[in-house]
Amino acid sequence: MSPQIISAQPMISGKTATSSAISFKTINQHSKTARDNKHKADWRGWKFMWPFAAVFVFVFIIPIVYAVYISFFKKQMIGGTKFVGFDNYAKLMSDMQFWSSVGRVALFTVVQVPIMLFLAAAMALAIDSMKLHGTKFFRISTFLPYAVPAVVSTLIWGFMYGAKYGLVRSFNDLFGTNLDVMVPSVLLISIGNIVTWEFVGYNMLIFYSSLSTIPHSLYEAASIDGASEWQIVKSIKLPELKGSLAITVIFSIIGSFQLFNEPSILQNMVPGNAITTYYTPNMYAYNLSFSGNQSNYAAALAIVMAVITMAIAYAVQLNSMKEQMK
Amino acid sequence: MRNAKKAVAAMAAITTLVGLAACGNSSTAKVDTDTANAKGEIVFWGWGNGIKETIDAFEKANPNITVKYSSTGTAADTATALQNAIAAGKGAPDVIMLEDATVPQFVVDGSVIDLSQFGADKFADDFAAGPWAKMLQEGKPYALPIDSSPEVFFYNKATFDKAGVDGESIKTWDDYYEAAKKVRALGGDYYITNSIDYQPFLAQAWQAGAQPFKVDGENITINMNDKGLQQYVAFQQKLIDEDLINPKITNWSDDWYRSLGDGTTATLSIGAWMPTDLETGAAAGKGNWRVAQLPQWTDGEEASSEDGGSSLAITAQSKNTAAAYKFAEFLTHGDGAKVMADHGTFPATKKLLEDPSFQSEKNEYFGRQEVNKVLAEAAERKVSKFQYLPYNSFAQSKYGDDVVPAFQGKTTLKDALAKYAKTLADYGTDQGYTVSNQ
Repeated sequence: MSPQIISAQPMISGKTATSSAISFKTINQHSKTARDNKHKADWRGWKFMWPFAAVFVFVFIIPIVYAVYISFFKKQMIGGTKFVGFDNYAKLMSDMQFWSSVGRVALFTVVQVPIMLFLAAAMALAIDSMKLHGTKFFRISTFLPYAVPAVVSTLIWGFMYGAKYGLVRSFNDLFGTNLDVMVPSVLLISIGNIVTWEFVGYNMLIFYSSLSTIPHSLYEAASIDGASEWQIVKSIKLPELKGSLAITVIFSIIGSFQLFNEPSILQNMVPGNAITTYYTPNMYAYNLSFSGNQSNYAAALAIVMAVITMAIAYAVQLNSMKEQMK
Repeated sequence: MRNAKKAVAAMAAITTLVGLAACGNSSTAKVDTDTANAKGEIVFWGWGNGIKETIDAFEKANPNITVKYSSTGTAADTATALQNAIAAGKGAPDVIMLEDATVPQFVVDGSVIDLSQFGADKFADDFAAGPWAKMLQEGKPYALPIDSSPEVFFYNKATFDKAGVDGESIKTWDDYYEAAKKVRALGGDYYITNSIDYQPFLAQAWQAGAQPFKVDGENITINMNDKGLQQYVAFQQKLIDEDLINPKITNWSDDWYRSLGDGTTATLSIGAWMPTDLETGAAAGKGNWRVAQLPQWTDGEEASSEDGGSSLAITAQSKNTAAAYKFAEFLTHGDGAKVMADHGTFPATKKLLEDPSFQSEKNEYFGRQEVNKVLAEAAERKVSKFQYLPYNSFAQSKYGDDVVPAFQGKTTLKDALAKYAKTLADYGTDQGYTVSNQ
């Protein structure tokens, strides 16, 4: 990697030199030793970089390249492994089970993420307003679900959702209703509720920290101008939240597209296998590799999903950058 | 730029090597059959009761061998874990407990070894016929059976009494249908069964003489519409249409055990390994449950089938096959089989099955019924020829996707099974088999 950087260095300075006569002169006037120092500085940088770079290559670059590599093969029980080019990708494009899983997480994202972020922002504003008692307790307790492993929290919710023996049963008995939140038609909403519960505190904390960076002088100025609390929220706090909104949206989109733990735990608790083996793209990939023995196809799926997720995250980022430029 | 290209090329080369190394690692270690001098440490993956006690007994008898046991959860989890280790080329245990139906798929890809090289083929007459037949692939044993698992009929006598049903008089599936209506008449959550899973489906279809899968080397025939299956489908569809099967409870879920405990799920058609699961999982039902022979499709017949059942195999990755075999033999065929039986395993050896003191044991959970006598009788009943797919894990995972909607009334069972057959046939073709779907 490093030779590449060194060879690139003179090229850059050469380019600036030809582009303007004045700068050509100034560069020429630099002593030779100064140039040498520049080279040495590059090497020194890499000495600090290599532990990270090595780990980065091993845990990041190589697995991705390997996944791309195996996605071009096909392993069969009869016939072994053979190179199939883009066959796995072609098959994936026409795999309705795959697209239905993508559609499901997309729908999930569109509905759940706005609700969760709205709640998180509202909580952050409430805590930041200084008008509440016990804000510390409130802050910790809304954040706590994030610290509970997803598997455990899904189990807890799964038991509560039970229409036969869970909390829902008690609720039904008490109010004479006939609720069942585990039927296939509302299951996605139930999962959304779990995910919201898990991550609302985390997003609240991001919002809250960006609110707390607002200098106090702004509030003082606002109160001198006679601004009401609502005007302060609208003109000072909400604009400040916009920046962190981009981050939380991107995190949440990536998280939703990778939905796995919650549906996969609930699969054993939901009656009648309402959660299929291709409920979300991640579950589909998991089942393809481990019960279907099709890890090559699963690798292709993983790469396509990565591209889709990156494209969406990138679009969101571009959009928010445009907003901030305004 | 040229350097950058070189770097990419080098990276690609390295990854190729890594990839090839991962693929090439599955070469088998040399099989050591010298069991008399076996020593060292072996790793064992499994699940269930009595394993630790059996290992203690084994290590006492063989002080040179230590067994490192990992409880891998359920049959499906264990097969997945083994699948992972095989894909990785390392990390598999020496001895693995497998559900009988998953053994063929590991034989096909060479992940478990032929045990006749240790002389296991001589045990043919020592094991009950049903379980032993399942161990054989092309005439050679690839595993040793831990238990025999004839399908039997469990019923909750308390619920039956309330509904006015005499459990002992249920001899045919028609009797069962009449009982189902009476149980459902109790209202609420009372159902005769919830059974909508893969294993009960296969076992019940098997008992009807169905042969959905025929496997001959690389040729597979899938037929979800033969005479046995037609009979099965017509019967199940009648139960579904009349709301006699509870579609809201999944086997092995918390709800399931609770409903067995309070008697709202009134019966189980399941393997003979179920009693210990009932005792531990549905303790509230103590004294209420009874066991009987499976209802028959034709009055007076004695047709049976197998449901689940597990066995021990030795992996091709094992570096200490001699000690591994010694342990597998001890647990299934040797003194360990008795220890396992004492902890609730329903044995596979004829010696234990026919032992009078074993048969006359009175079980408190079953109201002092002589449970083992009923189960042993079931184990000796004839079973028709039946084969599992060499990709059983896949078949099991897709059953929920394709067939379960029929139990929720979204489609008919016949259509659902046709769809399922297509899924299985497509997968088989994709895996290189020659599949005919009839």
